[in-house]
Amino acid sequence: MKDKALELTAFSTALKSHYALSEFEIRENLLTLTTDTTTYVDLSTYLKDQGFSRCLTVAVIDWIDQGEFEIYYVVHHLESNIYVKVATRIARSKPAITSLSTIWKSATMHEREMWELFGVNFVGNTMLKPLFLENWTEKPPLRKDFNWHTYVDKEYFKAREK
Amino acid sequence: MSRIFKAIKSVLGLAVSKPMTFSFPPDMPLTELYRGRQLYKPELCKGCKICANVCPNNAIQMLEREKSEENKTGLQPQIDFRKCCFCGLCVDNCPTGALSFTNFPILLTMKPETLNYTPEMLAVPPTLEHPEAPKIKNTVSWARSRSIWIVNYMTGCCFIEAVPWVASSFDMERFGLLAVGSPRHADALLVGGYVTPKTLKRIIRIYSLMPQPKWVIALGNCPMTGGTYWDSYNTIKDISKYIPVDIWIAGCPPRPEPIGVAVVHAIQAIQGGYLGKEEKTDTDAGKMEVSPYPLLGADANKTEFDMVFGSQHPASGNFNMALKLDGEIIVDAIPYPGYLHRGFEKLMEYRTWLQNIMLVPRICVLDGASYELAYSGVTEKLAGIQVPIRGQYLRVVQAELSRIQSHLMNLGFGGAATGFDTIERLIWGDRDQVLLLLEELTGARIYHIFNTIGGVRRDIQPDFQQKAEQLIHFLRERLQTYDNLLIHNKTFIDRTEGLGILSKETAIQNDVTGPNLRASGVDFDIRTATPYEAYQEVGINTVTATKGDAYHRFLCRRLEIEESLNIIEHALDQLPSGPVCETKTPEDKKITWRLKIPAGEAFHCIEAGRGELCFHAISTGENTPYRIKVRGPTFGTILVMFPKLLHGMKIADVPVTYWSLDQCPADHDR
Ligand code: SF4
Ligand code: SF4
Ligand code: SF4
Repeated sequence: MKDKALELTAFSTALKSHYALSEFEIRENLLTLTTDTTTYVDLSTYLKDQGFSRCLTVAVIDWIDQGEFEIYYVVHHLESNIYVKVATRIARSKPAITSLSTIWKSATMHEREMWELFGVNFVGNTMLKPLFLENWTEKPPLRKDFNWHTYVDKEYFKAREK
Repeated sequence: MSRIFKAIKSVLGLAVSKPMTFSFPPDMPLTELYRGRQLYKPELCKGCKICANVCPNNAIQMLEREKSEENKTGLQPQIDFRKCCFCGLCVDNCPTGALSFTNFPILLTMKPETLNYTPEMLAVPPTLEHPEAPKIKNTVSWARSRSIWIVNYMTGCCFIEAVPWVASSFDMERFGLLAVGSPRHADALLVGGYVTPKTLKRIIRIYSLMPQPKWVIALGNCPMTGGTYWDSYNTIKDISKYIPVDIWIAGCPPRPEPIGVAVVHAIQAIQGGYLGKEEKTDTDAGKMEVSPYPLLGADANKTEFDMVFGSQHPASGNFNMALKLDGEIIVDAIPYPGYLHRGFEKLMEYRTWLQNIMLVPRICVLDGASYELAYSGVTEKLAGIQVPIRGQYLRVVQAELSRIQSHLMNLGFGGAATGFDTIERLIWGDRDQVLLLLEELTGARIYHIFNTIGGVRRDIQPDFQQKAEQLIHFLRERLQTYDNLLIHNKTFIDRTEGLGILSKETAIQNDVTGPNLRASGVDFDIRTATPYEAYQEVGINTVTATKGDAYHRFLCRRLEIEESLNIIEHALDQLPSGPVCETKTPEDKKITWRLKIPAGEAFHCIEAGRGELCFHAISTGENTPYRIKVRGPTFGTILVMFPKLLHGMKIADVPVTYWSLDQCPADHDR
């Protein structure tokens, strides 16, 4: 256990000295970093080179009150069992960010899901087309301002209520 | 040679052992603990409305009745069994004990409105009424009633309880029932649970292809009212708006017994000359346009052609793929998922932290316990709550039992995909014994809802350890039988060895996890890498193989069953004493169903039956999550890796490869 902890500390010190990170936290074996969008992309290449070969997810959080989307990815280093989560924020009005699909193959499908459910464009991802929904014409459903209540009423309950 | 002798010995052993099939009716292998229809005692109720407020499915409505000394508001609960999922929150939170559970599982009807139980109806203990036997009108009706063929389409999660009817435990063939692939040969359509718009279109098509007379049986609450997904943007709320339904079975999921009772009802009605409701489909009532399948553009001038594989296919679950073929060789494949998308991550934002425990196991019906565990874990991490050690041990027992039943299910599918129907029926029959033990532990077979924030909901019964030992003993013997009949069987080995080989590197890059990754020689299991709950103390040996082909993936699961049995044995042997659940947060607040969790975020991974399952939870200090991200174990394996793996294979290899990867469309669709 001690070796791993050491490695994690050394690794995180190296990270801190190289990159502009606004937030930095270590909890157990998870390293959480918050950064700007350029570093978000730069870090992905660096992490891949360091042996973070498994990309667990790319996901979005809708911070509607701040008018921002938080985009993050979580990667894992198998040999030393370290997880790194890198997060960044983009403006809600211009929801686009560079795709990680060339770095981690498995990121492609996660980005496709986020594109469908949050309407965030991942520039460079060639697979952005509907995944789960068919003929969806409304707002992307996982956005906070998608009003599921009126939608469900309108689509599914209207006949019963009238 | 010795292998053949062993196989023969196993078969003879089965021939002389006691029959595995439950008699029907009335032998119901029910435990006392099963959460069935509620019983209401009006004299205890004080009309506080807590039960109605806590219900995540809006199943309880308060009706006005006479005011009294005890009940000052005069309000009494009415429970709608078209909506209730038997989670038990109302019973747990009722301050007076006016609501309690009986273990009565049978709620079925031809008129769904009758499932709305008034306080007066709830106060009467339930009894089973057998339908009156009609006079046989003619031989045609009689013959029809004894050979109902059912379309094989696994629509939603209720389907899991139809599975025992295929297995040796409930054995539908004794009633003349048969599952068939082609709608044109079928008499009955079984709608197995929730229906998304994408699935609905396929159901309507299947229904219209069936010859007259035809009957429709709807399983579960979801087809009636949307059930647990009543507010989901992607599930149909009332399927009878689209096609006529003859029999409705309530429950979430209903146990296999009510399905049996429904069959008996159906047989009698058909014998009496009932020909089903008038054929009618309503395609205007919702969004009915079908998008074109994403075909891969085969070149017709060559020998190429396009094929859609699934979604109504026993070897696909409710999932499909577009294949481009050259003769019978697959040139290209892409996944076409979404038949089971219910928008969990959205639904969870509208339920309280505690209510969500009732929702999460439904993400993957094949291994719901792991989802409960992962979600409770992330919530506790976020709130800084420490689970008492006994509670942690019981969680391990539950999770391992769930892993065993999930792996058994998969071995059965492995048998089915390679043409060994016997082994499928045998293993699934044995799986029922595991479900019964789970019920003994948790109060439910499939969706246990055993966990709560801070621990587990109840301690074990005094005879639980003994029953568990019996099961462990039984399964250890049975594993030898599976070896003799399946794992060491030359035909099975020839069929699966060298098929769908995943190298270490490819598996890692494409985010393959769990037994599939370990079969490729990567020794990574979260239970040992980042131990959670009591795994560190119980200790486990990870199972790995090197070849990474279909055979070794099945083999890994077979060996993991054995390891899980050891874990359960250890855990029960050294089960510490003490409480099973923490009741206060570190801030000394009582943990209630409306608990507010401090702002922050947490990330928690566990080893589910199919691999690495992670929850990422974000709280803004409210009693509902701000966002929950679920990273399921099959997302990478099935949506990313599987289609690539198919290149160069024959069509007949698709089912084998598919089940060797142990898919769960419900997990990747969420
Ligand atoms: S058991 Fe659960 S779903 Fe059913 S009425 Fe009670 S709280 Fe509602
Ligand atoms: S049944 Fe229990 S929770 Fe419901 S109103 Fe009566 S006392 Fe209150
Ligand atoms: S949520 Fe319940 S009722 Fe709905 S499909 Fe699943 S088991 Fe059936």
